[in-house]
Amino acid sequence: MTTARVEAEVRGDTACITISGEIDLANANLVQDQIHAAITNDVTIVMLDLSGLDYLDSAGLRVLFTLADRLRVLQMGLELLVAPQSAVRKAVELSGLEPLARLRPGPARD
Amino acid sequence: MANSASAEEKLRRIGFVSDNALAHLAGDALLIELLERVRQVMNADTSVILLLEPGSRELVATASRGIENEVRQGVRVPLGKGFAGRIAAERRPVTLDRIDHTTVLNQLLWEKGIAALAGVPLIVGGAVIGVLHVGNLSARRFTDDDVALLQLAGDRMALTVQAHRAQAARAAATELQRSLLPTRLPTVPTLDLAARYVPGGESSVAGDWYDVFTLPSGWLGIVIGDVVGHDLPAAVVMGRLRSALRAYALETTDPAEVLTRLDRKAQHFEPGMMATVLYCTVAPAFDQMYLSSAGHLAPLVALPGRRGDYADLPIDPPIGAVRETRRRVTTVGLPPGAVACFFTDGLVERRYSPLDKGLDTLRDTVAVKPADAVCAEVMARLIGDDVPEDDVALLTLRRQSQDESGALDLVLPAVPESLKDIRAAMRRWLSAAGAGAEVTGDLLLAVGEACTNAVEHAYGPAGGSVALRLELQGTTVIATVRDHGRWRPPRGENRGRGILLMRKCGDEVRVEQTGDGTKVVIRRDLSREPAL
Repeated sequence: MTTARVEAEVRGDTACITISGEIDLANANLVQDQIHAAITNDVTIVMLDLSGLDYLDSAGLRVLFTLADRLRVLQMGLELLVAPQSAVRKAVELSGLEPLARLRPGPARD
Repeated sequence: MANSASAEEKLRRIGFVSDNALAHLAGDALLIELLERVRQVMNADTSVILLLEPGSRELVATASRGIENEVRQGVRVPLGKGFAGRIAAERRPVTLDRIDHTTVLNQLLWEKGIAALAGVPLIVGGAVIGVLHVGNLSARRFTDDDVALLQLAGDRMALTVQAHRAQAARAAATELQRSLLPTRLPTVPTLDLAARYVPGGESSVAGDWYDVFTLPSGWLGIVIGDVVGHDLPAAVVMGRLRSALRAYALETTDPAEVLTRLDRKAQHFEPGMMATVLYCTVAPAFDQMYLSSAGHLAPLVALPGRRGDYADLPIDPPIGAVRETRRRVTTVGLPPGAVACFFTDGLVERRYSPLDKGLDTLRDTVAVKPADAVCAEVMARLIGDDVPEDDVALLTLRRQSQDESGALDLVLPAVPESLKDIRAAMRRWLSAAGAGAEVTGDLLLAVGEACTNAVEHAYGPAGGSVALRLELQGTTVIATVRDHGRWRPPRGENRGRGILLMRKCGDEVRVEQTGDGTKVVIRRDLSREPAL
């Protein structure tokens, strides 16, 4: 079974969710449930840190698109942290997710 | 002593000293036959042998005549307690002519109505190994001559028991050792593995072992170890360490963490034991080894075109040596064609020769060759015609180069769980083919999408399989993904996105509907700049 680790914490008005490992068809639904469970109703920004993710394909992108769509309705912002020149960044850029989320190259600085 | 001479004579008469009829009896059958003859020569009604359990302080009824239920009920007598316990503790014969709960612990004896008992200690090499006693149902006073005769019979039986035990222990140790070494090394695509194990001189076995296993995460584990001690106790400890290490290997791929847990387990459950262990994990692409050594010699690594040398490895304390020690991990690259030799000290250590000499010879011998040829040459150079004093274990791993590993062919069930295995196999193959990170990422994604399509859309609930072939033509990788189903019309937007990713990540992507399923061919030049 493909494994991904989802760790979440709420910092002020931001839900910070760090995902490492791999996401494919085998675990996409599980990861989606974990992400949704980590987002409380009172945050205004959701930051997904994917810099530790080794593999993401269209099954994982579907999770991100679904999330972006939901967050737009809820009027929450979505930020994606992806390492520059990584396979994950490429998949995200090729998929056309960019208009729906702010892409950032590294961890947020407080 | 005249008494002793006549006792010898009596034993000889009943064939106790040498009897061909006894030669073919083994173990308990031999003991029972000897007890029967003791009963006759002593004019007794019962005869029993109790043996001290190794490592315990209890005598256990092992064989008997005239009072068979004593053995069947597994009678145990603590050392120093009761009739037999006293004989063993005081190491001298004891006779009794009053049998009740004050003199005898084992109630079977007084329930049976035994009226008199005589017993002698069984002593071998100064150590008590058990007790032999005889009993009579009618009143009897055992004379000094009776006791001397019984002691003489006991001495003979003690030697028989001891010889039988030593033989059984050696056979068990050899069998255990053999059962714990892999009978067949795992077949791992793109890796070439070979091993040798030779027991030490005088056919005694020590606690050397090696182990190679694949892990569900796609990692590979390699173990080589040496338990201090020899024969059955060392083999038993080795078996426990081996299975404990395998269990911890499932939990983490950090070799220092695995050894830390193994050490904690050994210190608690096997106090007093010590072992050297080297544990190595190999990343799924097989391009990096992670090593941690608990007092074990570093492996020799030979790279193509270069002289082999020992991995530069800090050596941490052996398992069982000190509490809560810090263990370190060293990363060693394993490029295509590289050879790594793991071994125990029996290979390089000779009594009259410095260790460095053996290590130098090994370094000069190991060359970049097929693993079995490396093992054969090492054994010929370092062991030759000698009988090694110590156990020798040698395990050689070689990463195949691309030109010999050829195409990658995989057929897996078309289920989501297969996708991860496909990626692990692809990473290995692409790494051996010399693909960089970008090209590897692109091909993983393109092939991943093609396989996901087969998993999601090719079959109904009955399922089917997905086949992948990767081959290299010049500098172009050609990936072919086949299924035997029929892709459904696109459902949802996810499907379109998958095909788009596939097309963007390959130089050329062809999807063919054949009469028998769908075939996707993806071509990607290894030297081409990445898609973005």
